[in-house]
Amino acid sequence: METDPLVRDYLGRLEAAAWMLPGDRRRELGEEVHEHIDAALAAAGRQDEVAVRNVLERLGRPEEIIAAEVGPGGPPNPTQAPDPADPARRSMGGVEIIALLLLTIGAIFLPLIGPLIGLVFVWSSSYWTRNQKLVATVIVAVLLLITIAGLAVGSGSAAQPQTTRSM
Amino acid sequence: MVPSETRNTLTELRRGVLEFCVLATVRAEESYAFEMVRVLSAAGELVTSEGTIYPLLSRLRRDDLVTTTWRESDAGPPRRYYRITDAGRRALATFGDDWARFRDAVDDLLDGKTPGGTGDGD
Repeated sequence: METDPLVRDYLGRLEAAAWMLPGDRRRELGEEVHEHIDAALAAAGRQDEVAVRNVLERLGRPEEIIAAEVGPGGPPNPTQAPDPADPARRSMGGVEIIALLLLTIGAIFLPLIGPLIGLVFVWSSSYWTRNQKLVATVIVAVLLLITIAGLAVGSGSAAQPQTTRSM
Repeated sequence: MVPSETRNTLTELRRGVLEFCVLATVRAEESYAFEMVRVLSAAGELVTSEGTIYPLLSRLRRDDLVTTTWRESDAGPPRRYYRITDAGRRALATFGDDWARFRDAVDDLLDGKTPGGTGDGD
């Protein structure tokens, strides 16, 4: 169906008024309203300017629709889809404290093994996000490699860095 | 001429009850937004700006008071059908009780009846 200029203008105003909504919801709302207009025009059985104006008037001003979406007092938090990577905000428990101890002073009392066990605890906890866990893992891995390299050098063995050749 | 204050009062009243009226339109069977708007408009006084039903439906969906399914329609694009959930039924039942007490209290006062006992503390 060819979009009436009045309808296009209306939808443009709606989109402009919806700037603060998350992109997904802004698109969805625009589609819903567009379909509503199409359905209303189909029900009216005519597409002329009078029919279009009536349909748009019954819809209400775009700003009103967005105000209903946003609610009094600004954009509501629930508008944003819950972030699956963001675990429920709670305080640290035993697992998290053990993980932190193993990762820090664990490296002194249980060299090499301590931080590795700490990582197991880190990954079993839902306190940190996946990215935070990855960062912790990379740090421990790098420190372990440095330690092992240092031990190799210290023990006097030929610690030639293993270079990988491109060909 | 309708004083503007009366209009504002109606707007305020609508704001509080509309979501339950929307829930009531799908209590018996599932429906789609355009049809729900038609029912609400036919009831009178409930909807002034039809477009505001979409934010409301989105909120009901987010609060798990309704679930949605896309269905083919006889004519036109597929439609999103709304169905009430158990939580939606509970919310509607609670509102029904609250509304009855609220309505009776207001009616009594407006009719000039003196309340028999304490208004809300039974």
